[in-house]
Amino acid sequence: MDRVRRVWLTHHRTGERERAPRPEKSERIPAATLKGMPPGRRTLHARPRRGYSVVSQGDHPEAPLMESLTALVIDDEPQIRRVVRNALEAEGARVIEAETGREGIDRAAAELPALVVLDLGLPDMEGIRVCTEIRKWSAAPIIVLSARHAEREKVALLDAGADDYVTKPFSPPELRARARAQLRRARLAGGQADAVVEVDGLRIDLAGRTLQRDGADIHLTPTEWDLLRTFVRHAGRTLTHRQIFREVWRDPAGDAQAYLRVHVANLRRKIERDPVRPQLIITEPGVGYRFRAIG
Amino acid sequence: MATDSAPSADGARRRVALARAAPAGLLWVAVVAAVTAGLVALRGALDKAHIALVYLLVVLAASARRGRSVGIALAILCFICFEVFLLPPYHGLALQAPADWLVLAAFLSTSVVAAQLLDRARREAAAAERRAQEIEHLSRLGAETLNAGRAEDAVEAAARVIRSTLGVGWCGIHQREPETGAFRLAGAAARPDFDPASEAWADAILAYVVEHRAAAVRRLDGAVHVVGVGEEAAGAVALAQPDARSMLLPLGVRGSVVGVLALADDRPILLDAAQQRFVDALGYYAALAVERVRLAAEAEHAEALRHADRLKDALLAAVSHDLRTPLTTIKALAHEIREGGDERAAIVEVEADRLNRLVADLLDLSRLNAGALPLDPELNAADDLLGAALDRLAGTPRVGDVRVELDATEPLIGRFDFVHSLRALVNLIENALKYSPAGSPVEVVARREGDDVVLSVLDRGAGIPASAVDRLFEPFFRAPGVAPDTAGAGLGLAIARRLAEAQGGTVRYAPRPGGGSIFSLHLPAADAAGVCAPSS
Repeated sequence: MDRVRRVWLTHHRTGERERAPRPEKSERIPAATLKGMPPGRRTLHARPRRGYSVVSQGDHPEAPLMESLTALVIDDEPQIRRVVRNALEAEGARVIEAETGREGIDRAAAELPALVVLDLGLPDMEGIRVCTEIRKWSAAPIIVLSARHAEREKVALLDAGADDYVTKPFSPPELRARARAQLRRARLAGGQADAVVEVDGLRIDLAGRTLQRDGADIHLTPTEWDLLRTFVRHAGRTLTHRQIFREVWRDPAGDAQAYLRVHVANLRRKIERDPVRPQLIITEPGVGYRFRAIG
Repeated sequence: MATDSAPSADGARRRVALARAAPAGLLWVAVVAAVTAGLVALRGALDKAHIALVYLLVVLAASARRGRSVGIALAILCFICFEVFLLPPYHGLALQAPADWLVLAAFLSTSVVAAQLLDRARREAAAAERRAQEIEHLSRLGAETLNAGRAEDAVEAAARVIRSTLGVGWCGIHQREPETGAFRLAGAAARPDFDPASEAWADAILAYVVEHRAAAVRRLDGAVHVVGVGEEAAGAVALAQPDARSMLLPLGVRGSVVGVLALADDRPILLDAAQQRFVDALGYYAALAVERVRLAAEAEHAEALRHADRLKDALLAAVSHDLRTPLTTIKALAHEIREGGDERAAIVEVEADRLNRLVADLLDLSRLNAGALPLDPELNAADDLLGAALDRLAGTPRVGDVRVELDATEPLIGRFDFVHSLRALVNLIENALKYSPAGSPVEVVARREGDDVVLSVLDRGAGIPASAVDRLFEPFFRAPGVAPDTAGAGLGLAIARRLAEAQGGTVRYAPRPGGGSIFSLHLPAADAAGVCAPSS
């Protein structure tokens, strides 16, 4: 299948960066705006109050999403900073570094990076505080570097607004893959609410509440629908059990949170091709679930 | 040890009372003699009524001072002296006037009744005073045991108050050490002139007293007797023993014996009923004090354990963190070198991963052995566990040989820690892949079995020889005949079983019919009833 990818070129919620001019439909797009777009044949459509929609065809998942983006690494270990720098610069990103949590917050405010890589165990402050601080005014993806045996810490960080984590020791391709997934997700965010989503042969019409696999209708219970909508809305992002629960069961009652796993298991049996080898709803052990990135 | 029934201690007590009363009696006889001599000198000038009054005063005084028996004895003595020396004809038993018999009878009865009444008043006053003292002692004991800053001081205070209250030579409180079972003198108090060194008791007797709720006494001749075995009032039985100069009484609180109260003196310990009652009350306080020592020690022990755990956690976290930074650097550099074209760097990457894994296994094993593994048991689905295990194994060689079978239409639900169970299952599958011949599938079957969710991993490997089954789950165990480079460090199965056991499950081995092994991960099942209700 020749995939058609639509990318909403949105600006980060900060709105502090220079706004791109809003062209009329036929207007030429300044070349700078296209920088960082996936290569391939591109067509730009103006979207009122949203930015541009880029429809590119035939681009590859390995496309240099990070070209000329600024990425911030917050880590007290110079060796780790070097590893992260090399991994991200290989993708074309501009990498800036911070040694402490305080410095990291300041640099994030000054440079408005499109991606933050944050190590836990900083000498001056808890990683979770750095995360919360940055999240107050930035929507840039935050990837946490964490150790094993730190599931509770990971959950706390994701709840505080981190987007993903990489467990040390990691390899550069692993970090790059996570970074790309987060950047892709960040660009797509906000554009799908009214869309029909197709993923892995599954056609999800969130507005029409219909679900088909290979043309055959699949029936979901209301809870399973809510669950699926939550997953799709945050596709590509690791959601903690609590985050999912809050969004699906707005009125938390009884022990329902404990049953989240059961509902996920039921949903998988309906939407996955092979429920024990799930391709859509990925389990992040001890942390939560991640829906496969769309697009 | 002979168990003695209690011969009455009352006789002994009476004998002692009599022996103490004798010298006082002689004094009063002398008083009567003197008074009689005085009256004889004046008898011509005295009326019978005056004489009777003087004698009555003497009897009353004696009764007030020495009690009823002395009073009555003196009344009779006075009666005789009155009759013999002071009523004519003198020095004979006959009387001139028969009316004098009336005077004598009136004197005698008045004396006896007065002696009786005085004695009763005296005893009641004494009893009231004792009660007041008891209450004072008890309140002192209560206050001291409660106010004592340290639990040990409370026991010490209890021993002091009991000793001084009972007036015995020595009082000690023995307590059993929970770990060793040995006895320790938790608190003791001795009269300055008393040497408690001779009052040691063998641990065996102390243990017998605690375990059988008995009491023990040591007689004046040194013979030891165990009494009141299993009786609620074992202590009272011991206190009723005559000739006991040393004794052990069980200290009970809320139905269990928590310690032993030891009393000793250089003469027989004789307590009256009120003192015996009092010993019960004191014993309760002493037991509370002992209990307080035990609880304080327990709290201290728990605190020490927590502290040790925190230290160990901090150490493990530090080791874990400090190792991961260089490993990350090594992996990253090896990757860069490999991208630069040197394929040998791939080996460095693989070995770095292996090293990381070995370190993780060793750290986990030490945590498991120390019982310091944090657990998060939650409702989880076996489907999820299987999926996550396959996901984790993705990329390892031969993962395509894994066949999964879910033996249920509904999701299988258990209450277990997902991360640890996943690790255990992954270890079992990896183990099976490692030992099964190339091309033969490894089957993973999930089903419910009674109260367990069971995930079985079946392979067609060589199986485990019967002689090695016992040691299969020991760390660093390697099946005989396996080349050293086939496996890792031999920690996978040991860690899997300990991880399962930490959450109420286990890992079992069974030979597979037709050759091969079955390793089953048992995890506690949960009831899925009502789970799906909220969704529909």
